[in-house]
Amino acid sequence: MLPQRSRLSVVLFLLPALLLFGGGVLLPIIQSLVLSFFSWDGISDMTFVGLQNYQRLLGGDAIFWTAFRNQWGYLVTCILLQMGGGLLLACLLMTITRGREIIKVLYLMPAVISTTAIALLFQRIYSFDPAGLLNSVLKSIGLGGLARPWLSDLHTVLTAVSIPEGWRFLGLYTILLYAALLSVPQELEEAARLDGANAWKVFTTVRFPHIKPVWATTLIMATTYALRGFDVPYLLTNGGPGQASELVTTYMYKTAFTSTDYGYASSIAVFIVLECLVAVGAIIALTRREAD
Amino acid sequence: MNFTIPTPAILPGSSGASRTADTRRRKLKASKIISWVIISLVLVLQVYPFLWLLLTSVRTADDFAANSAFGLPHSFTLSNFTRAISEGQLGTNILNSFIVTAASCLLIVVCGMTGAYAIQVLDFKGSKLVRGLFLMGIVVPVQVALVPLFIDYSKIHLLDTYQSMVIPLAGFALPMALYLFISFFSYIPRSIYEAASMDGANPYRVFFSITLPMSMNTIITVVMVNAIFIWNDFIFANTFVLTDGLKTIPLGLQNYIGAMGKTDWTATFAAVSITVTPLLLVFLVLNKAMIYGLESGATKG
Repeated sequence: MLPQRSRLSVVLFLLPALLLFGGGVLLPIIQSLVLSFFSWDGISDMTFVGLQNYQRLLGGDAIFWTAFRNQWGYLVTCILLQMGGGLLLACLLMTITRGREIIKVLYLMPAVISTTAIALLFQRIYSFDPAGLLNSVLKSIGLGGLARPWLSDLHTVLTAVSIPEGWRFLGLYTILLYAALLSVPQELEEAARLDGANAWKVFTTVRFPHIKPVWATTLIMATTYALRGFDVPYLLTNGGPGQASELVTTYMYKTAFTSTDYGYASSIAVFIVLECLVAVGAIIALTRREAD
Repeated sequence: MNFTIPTPAILPGSSGASRTADTRRRKLKASKIISWVIISLVLVLQVYPFLWLLLTSVRTADDFAANSAFGLPHSFTLSNFTRAISEGQLGTNILNSFIVTAASCLLIVVCGMTGAYAIQVLDFKGSKLVRGLFLMGIVVPVQVALVPLFIDYSKIHLLDTYQSMVIPLAGFALPMALYLFISFFSYIPRSIYEAASMDGANPYRVFFSITLPMSMNTIITVVMVNAIFIWNDFIFANTFVLTDGLKTIPLGLQNYIGAMGKTDWTATFAAVSITVTPLLLVFLVLNKAMIYGLESGATKG
């Protein structure tokens, strides 16, 4: 577009980004893809095994399928908290007049804290002996019977490791959806109200259709973040007890760096990428179709 | 305002209208109270953990163990901070986090800006394709890079270096930064560039004399959004760094987690407080830039 641009200038300006992206992202993706067809422990020679890693992954590996189910459980908890809770809070923020800015900042605070610090916090919150925050609160409101070691109870551990992630970015999604709601034209809302629409009707017929593009984008963000969720479960339980909180990501990490099974770990990594792409494609397709 | 919409005052049957307005007002008031209650409850959930963290870091270990660990402290001491500092390597950790964050942000800004300039302003043949390639990177999970980079690094002796963290951190953050720059550059009027070109400015001069000075706000936004995620990175540091001297804050803190036996909780909380404070302060000062960056990243996506 610029009249005096030369081919050299294009190359020079594009080169840093291409090098960084190529070396840090594209090359590793290709290498993962290649490695996933080999068996390699990092020391002996690499042997080509064809689709064997994928056969093992999809066919016989019970731990992988447990991890896959858990990852979706983790995803559902995160999406409910972030997209459901975020949308509700964004709508509520619209109804108040004072303090919105400061509330936005305070809501976002957990997103600033490192996952290690969050894991430390939640370790104490879930603790059973000595009684942690959650168990203390339950006892003080007369629900002491529900107190349990949340992180070593097979039935609660998956939800327990999912909640910190959902909580951490709740403020982020609230703010994003709130910004979208602010952009809904006032006239449209007023018109709907004067036509006798109640708050719910205004939401479903005016607000939500208007914020739908942002809703789709944030849903994509929340979904892909949850599908690659790793830090908190890894730090809190490392997948345990047993495989009760094992995620595909923690399983991949262990396969790579504890069992040093690089080939198999790579096939799991490729699976995670495909899973993300499929999820993104599905969300785009679904939101598009509804729009038509 | 749309003038075709009648206002309630000129509706026929105004007594009925005023009664419905009355109940609506009462309803509004009730819903406002409910809103405030829920918003405040969530506020407690989001903020209380930090207050608890800070309060615990200044109480004595005995007080923490004996009294309710989650209420107000009955004692005040700063000895936890001295223990936290002497036990770990917090100074080194903070310095390392700072180096990695600064280097990554610099790389992200330079590559993001020049790349976006090439794609959006120079607008070469095939720029749409290149743009699409980068944008796909936004959804690629970082886990895919761990094994290959670990192998590559060990071959070229890059394991256990600052670069081993900076390259993937900057690489995976680049697509979003590039995207923010592209969308910002698209708002700079073409006529400015054309005028400069008529005066004989080449693309390099245009970049340094027009694009760069106009991009300062976008640079701050990109840095703020990325600094938070990079400062807190756990997975790359945990995979590529082995020696204590290179450990960043998330790794330094990890030494306190899950350690069997008696954990020095109050010192641990003091350590967490120390590491959380710098970023939290920056965030409280610059939150506008960060919130703006996050919003524009999502709404223009």
